[in-house]
Amino acid sequence: MGLKGWLEVGVLVTAALPLFRLWKGPTLWDRLAATSSLNVRVALVLACEASFTGRGLLLDVALAYAALGFLGTVLLARFGERGER
Amino acid sequence: MTSLALLAGGLLLLLLGGVAFLRLQGPYERLQGAGVGDIGGAALFLIGLFVRDWSTTGWVGVLLLLFLLFTGPVATHAVAKAAFVRGLRPKGGGRCP
Repeated sequence: MGLKGWLEVGVLVTAALPLFRLWKGPTLWDRLAATSSLNVRVALVLACEASFTGRGLLLDVALAYAALGFLGTVLLARFGERGER
Repeated sequence: MTSLALLAGGLLLLLLGGVAFLRLQGPYERLQGAGVGDIGGAALFLIGLFVRDWSTTGWVGVLLLLFLLFTGPVATHAVAKAAFVRGLRPKGGGRCP
């Protein structure tokens, strides 16, 4: 497997830890932190794929994904703050 | 060669950011550890990608790097503020502002 494969597997393996916290996290805030962390990693894998295969479109996808991930985290936090729970 | 070092450093910081989720107790510590580890790891990783092959990444990659650098802490702050407002106090007590 080339360097690209190893890098992406490396990023995804380190993504297992936030995934564990997403599953186990007692509070909503642990889960939001884990989601935010996973979003950054997915954007990184996309950027790595774009850089190695030369397809520039994937980099735009990574940027859009990072933006939406950030938006999602902030909106969920705001909802958790003011939600009707 | 330097790109490999940067990429490896990025991966290492990502791993440390992940370990923060295991080792630290309480949402606030995890938010701090993960926020710093992730964004630092992502920055190093992206700079490694730029150094390795600028033709395929270009300025959009720099935009992604700047975006992550600016919005990472904002997201962490939003979650921490929401937790604080909902009454979760850090270990040290944390007086209301």
